[in-house]
Amino acid sequence: MMTSLFEHGPLSATLAEGNALRDFIFGTGGSGHHAEMVEETFAWIFWISAFFFVVLMGLTVLWSVQYKRRATPVALVSSSHNTVLETLWTVIPLGILAVMFFKGFQGYLDLSVAPAGAIEMDVRAAKWDWRIIYPNGAESTEREKLGSAKEIPIFYMPAESPVKLRMISSDVIHSFWVPDFRGKFDVMPNRYTYYGFTSGPIKGDKKLEAGPFAGTPYEDHWLFCAEYCGDSHSEMAAVVRMVPRETWAKIVDGWSSAGLTPVEKGKRLHTIQCASCHSIDGSKNVGPSWKDMFGKTETFTDGTSGVVDDAYVRESIYEPAKRIVAGFPPQMQPYKGILSEDDVTAIIEYMKTISVNHKPAEGQK
Amino acid sequence: MSTINHHGSHAVGGHHDEGSYLAPKGGLVSTMWAWATTIDHKKLGVMYLAAVLTLFFLGGVAALAVRVELFQPTTMVNGKVTGQVFQDAGGAVAAGHAIYNRIFTLHGAIMVFMVIVPGIPSALGNFLLPIMLGAKDVAFPRLNLLSWWVYVVGSVLGVVSIIMGGVDTGWTFYTPYSTSTDWDVYMRVVLMIGAAFVLGFSSILTGLNFVVTVHKLRAPGMGWFDMPLFVWAIYSTAIIQVLATPVIGITLLLLIFERLFHVGIFDPAIGGDPVLFQHFFWFYSHPVVYVMILPAFGIISELITVHAHKKIFGYRAMAFASLGVAFVSFLVWGHHMFASMGEMASAVFSALTFLVAIPTAVKVFNWVATLYKGSIQFTAPMVYALFFLFLFTIGGLTGLPLGTLSTDLHLHDSYFVVAHFHYVMMGGTIISFVAGIHHWWPKMFGRMYNERWAIVGACLVFIGFNLTFFTQFILGTRGMPRRYATYIPEFTELHQWSTYGSFILLLGFLVHLFVFIHSLVAGRPAPKNPWGGLSLEWETDSPPIEHNFHHEPLVKHGPYDFETTVPPHWDPKDYPIPASNFTADKH
Repeated sequence: MMTSLFEHGPLSATLAEGNALRDFIFGTGGSGHHAEMVEETFAWIFWISAFFFVVLMGLTVLWSVQYKRRATPVALVSSSHNTVLETLWTVIPLGILAVMFFKGFQGYLDLSVAPAGAIEMDVRAAKWDWRIIYPNGAESTEREKLGSAKEIPIFYMPAESPVKLRMISSDVIHSFWVPDFRGKFDVMPNRYTYYGFTSGPIKGDKKLEAGPFAGTPYEDHWLFCAEYCGDSHSEMAAVVRMVPRETWAKIVDGWSSAGLTPVEKGKRLHTIQCASCHSIDGSKNVGPSWKDMFGKTETFTDGTSGVVDDAYVRESIYEPAKRIVAGFPPQMQPYKGILSEDDVTAIIEYMKTISVNHKPAEGQK
Repeated sequence: MSTINHHGSHAVGGHHDEGSYLAPKGGLVSTMWAWATTIDHKKLGVMYLAAVLTLFFLGGVAALAVRVELFQPTTMVNGKVTGQVFQDAGGAVAAGHAIYNRIFTLHGAIMVFMVIVPGIPSALGNFLLPIMLGAKDVAFPRLNLLSWWVYVVGSVLGVVSIIMGGVDTGWTFYTPYSTSTDWDVYMRVVLMIGAAFVLGFSSILTGLNFVVTVHKLRAPGMGWFDMPLFVWAIYSTAIIQVLATPVIGITLLLLIFERLFHVGIFDPAIGGDPVLFQHFFWFYSHPVVYVMILPAFGIISELITVHAHKKIFGYRAMAFASLGVAFVSFLVWGHHMFASMGEMASAVFSALTFLVAIPTAVKVFNWVATLYKGSIQFTAPMVYALFFLFLFTIGGLTGLPLGTLSTDLHLHDSYFVVAHFHYVMMGGTIISFVAGIHHWWPKMFGRMYNERWAIVGACLVFIGFNLTFFTQFILGTRGMPRRYATYIPEFTELHQWSTYGSFILLLGFLVHLFVFIHSLVAGRPAPKNPWGGLSLEWETDSPPIEHNFHHEPLVKHGPYDFETTVPPHWDPKDYPIPASNFTADKH
C-alpha cells in the first residue's frame, strides 16, 4: 500500500527519463531500479525545498524593498506574535518531514535487502584496490588505466540481474560507491556489510571491440571509494562493466585459474593483487617496479643491503615492514592469510621471467 | 539576588572617571603584560578575535591550496605528471596526493577546532555577554583568563604538529586509519589529537563561565525573557559545550592511548571496533555543529531587529527553539553513519534528525516575519544578515536529502555533503560572525568603518561563496566523492568554476581586512549607539570603560521594544534613544 502511495504519487514523474533537470543534477548514467527510486525521492524533496526557498526569499526581498527605511526610522506597529500562524508553520513542515522520512526508509530497505535469487559475489577492499570474487572463485584479469596511469580493474556484471555483494576490508574502512547506482555502503575491516541491487539494462550503443566476445553490447559505470583511506584514496576506483548475463557467465568462466602454470598464475596474481603499487615496466609507483628486480642487490631503508631472492620476496609479502627498499614509503600491508605459499611461489617464478638480473640455475647445482 | 545586590553596590558611583578599556597602561611592555594577564572579558574577547581571525586566515590559505590542486585532475602525459600542484620530490603521484591529504586535514582541523567552534562564543560572546546583561564582567574572570591560555596552548600544539609535517587523518580522525597512519612518526598525529583535546577544555571552561554568568549576573529588572536573543543563543551553546565536550575529550584520550599503547578499543586488528569511534566522535561532534550555528542564530536575531527597528517576531518561540535545537542535537549523531549502521539504528536516527529541522525552520520563518512592516536600513551588518538568510536557507534545505535515508546513501561522503556543510558552517556561522564583527566593531574599537567598501566586500564574499560551493552540490549529485586529490575528467569544468569562486571569496575578505585596518587607523569616532539598538551594550561608551557602565543599569524595557520605545519623530542623529535604561543617580 505504501509502495503505491509513493511510487505513483503526483510528483513521481518530475524527473522522468530525458528530463533536463534530472540530467543536470545527476547526469545521464543512472542505472537500475534503485537509482530511479532515489532520483524520485530526491526530486520530491527538491520541489518542496524549492517551494519554501522561493516563498522565503521572495518575502525577504519584497519586504526589504517595501519597508526600506524612509525619512523616519520608526517601524510600523504590527503584531510580533501570532499563535495560529506559528502553530501552522510548525505542524505543516512536521507532516511533510514525516512523509519524507518514510520515503527515505523505504528506499534504504530496497538497497539493504538483497533481491530474491541474487547472484552472490564477494567484495574485498584494501588500500587502494577493489577486488570482486565471482561465484566460481575467479577474479577479473582485465585492467584499464586512470588518467594518472594507475591501473584499475574492470569488473564485469550481468545486466538486468539481481546481485548481492558481501563486502569486507583487510585494512581501514572503505566505502563501495557506484554513483550511477545511487547508493553506497561502507566496507568494514571487522565485519561483513552487504549491498544488494538489481542491475539495470544496458544503455547506449557501445560494443566490445576485441577478444572472443567482440560485438557484445556493454555499458560502463565508475566504482569509487567514498571513505577516506589515505594517499591513493582518490584513485581507488574500478570500472563496473555491464554485459548481457549469458556473456557475463562465459567471461567469468574464462577467468577460472584451474590448469595454469606457476608463471601464468604469478602473472595473474600480479594483475589482481600487486599491479596498483608495483609496475612491471620499470616506472616508479608506491612500491618498487618488478622489472629487473629479482636477483638485483637493493639498499634498504635501515642502511643494510641484500639480494632480492626467493627468501626476500617471501619475507616482503608476509612481513613487508621488515626490510623496505630505500626511497619507498612503508605502505604495504602483510599478505599473510591472503596469499598462500603456492601463490608466493607463483609470484617468485613470474618475477624471474621479467628480470634480466635473474641468472637461471647456472652454477647452483 | 544577593549577587546582583553585591554587584550593584560596587557599581554605585564607582566608575565615573574611568577611561576606555583600550587605553594603554604605561609603556609597550607593561601594556602587553597587562593584556596577557588581563581578567577583563573585553580584552580577552579582543584577543580571541585576533587569534581566531589569524587562524581563519591560515585555514583559508589551506582551503585555497585545496582549490588550486583541484583546478585540474592529475594526469600522466608522456610519462610526465601534469595537473598536480603539490608534488613530492620523488615525483610519485601517490606521494603528491599525500601532501594534498595533509592540506585538507589542516584546513578542516583549524577551521573546526580553532575557528568555528570557539569563534563567536569566545570572541563576541566574551565581549558582549556581560555587557548585554548589564554586568561588570563574567562570573569567573580568572577562569576566563585560564580558558584563553588553554586555547593558546591547544592552538600552538596543533600548529607544531603542522610544522612537524602535518597529519593526513582528516579532521574526523576515523579509526583504524588514524591509529595506523604515519606509524613511523607517531607524535604528529598524537599532537594534533592532543590539540583538539586541549581546545576542548577551553570550550568547557568558557561554557561553564557563561552559564553561571547568565544565571547570576543579570542586571536588576532583567528577567529571563528580557534577555537579548544573542544571550539566549550563547547560553544554549554553553550548555552543549559543558555537556558534550567531555565526551570528545575522553574519546580523543582513548585514541591517543590506542596509538601509543595499542589498547584495542577502536582498531579491529587488535580487537577493537572502528564504528565505536564514530559513535563516540559524533556524539560530541554533532552537538558541536550546533555549538557552531546557535551563536550565529543569536547574531542574526540581533542584527535583523536592530537594523529593521522591529521587535523580533515570536521572541519566546526563538528562545525555546534555541533550547530545542540544543536538546535534540544530542539525539541525532547517528545520521553521520547511515552507511555503516544497521537498519534499526538508521531508521531511528533518520526520524530524530528530521525533528531538528523544525526549530531551525521556525527560526528562519521568524526572521523573515520580523522584516514585515519594519524600517530596514541597508548597513553592512544588515546586508550580511540578509545574505545569511539566503545561504543558511539553502544550507538547511539541502540537509533534507541528507537526513532522508535513501538519498543519503547516494550523497553521503560526496561533494554534496561538502557543499551542504559549507553553506551551514561558512554561509551560516562565518558569514554571521563577520556580520557580527561589523555590527559591534564600533562598540569594540570606538571607530566607524567605511560602510560602502564593507558592503562591496560583503557582495564579493556572497558571489564568491555561491560560485565556490553551489557547483559542489552538482559535483556531489553527479558522483564526486569528497577528500579526493584528483578526479575523473568529467568533473573538471565544475571544479574550475569552484576554484574561480574561491578567489573571488579571497578578494572579498581582503576588502574587509583593508576596511578594518583603515577603520583602526583613520575611522571616525563611533557614537554610543550608531544603529539605534535597545540592548544594554548600546548605552555604554564606544569603546566601553573598563567596568562597562558608569552606573549600574536598571532595565525598563525589552531589547526589541522599538515600536513602543522609539518616538514617532526620532531622528537617527539623536543619541541615545530617549527613554534609556539608565536613570542617573538612581540609588
